[in-house]
Amino acid sequence: MAFTGNFMCTSFKQELLQAQHNFTASTGHTFKLAMYDNNASFDASTTDYTATNEVSGTGYSAGGGTLTNVTPTTSGTTALTDFDDLTFSSSTITARGALIYNTTTGGGTGTTDTVVVLDFGSDKSSSAGDFTIVFPTADASNAIIRIA
Amino acid sequence: MMVEGGKISPGIVEVQTTNHRGFTPEEVAERCLSKLLSVSDTAPPAIKEQANAYKDHMRAVLVFYMKEAVKSDRTTVYNALCDAGQKDLAELIRRL
Repeated sequence: MAFTGNFMCTSFKQELLQAQHNFTASTGHTFKLAMYDNNASFDASTTDYTATNEVSGTGYSAGGGTLTNVTPTTSGTTALTDFDDLTFSSSTITARGALIYNTTTGGGTGTTDTVVVLDFGSDKSSSAGDFTIVFPTADASNAIIRIA
Repeated sequence: MMVEGGKISPGIVEVQTTNHRGFTPEEVAERCLSKLLSVSDTAPPAIKEQANAYKDHMRAVLVFYMKEAVKSDRTTVYNALCDAGQKDLAELIRRL
């Protein structure tokens, strides 16, 4: 049981084709990022957020942090979207990876539909400090979600 | 007939953490710079040099104004603590 890489969830791809996700800034859906220890086992088949193996600690609440959407755009023939960096301030946390999930899929409430699995590569820790998720450059080669 | 494209991919996030402190203006500015400007390894040397010079200038400007923001926020916190009767604590913040 461990993180084994970054994955785009298959259920998310299907839900995209069903117009269930909206990444537009301000008016789009609410996406959250939850963090996990290395006992978690996620891959492309992961469909929903779970509290099992979710990290706990000062400055972190179950369910994780709310992301700020950046309206999708295009670069050449690639469509892409991005989120603002997310910081858990004054926190004491150790995490190995994360899930991004949609809490308002299809315009609903309290949904838990996963989008991507993120593997940090190793345990990352903050101690009475800041724990920041830095999203990649929003371009056709690096953006967090890209459709080429 | 072949249809090109259609690949959907996840990006790779980076995690930055601190212990017993927050990020410095220099560290935050570096993060900001990477969002604003990237210089291709394959760019012609003259273009690369010019882009890196511009990046260095932007870095200095960003750091300066981030420090200004930090100082200004401390003033706000100082006054909030003074208003709450926490003069000693306010003085500690002012001296940071």
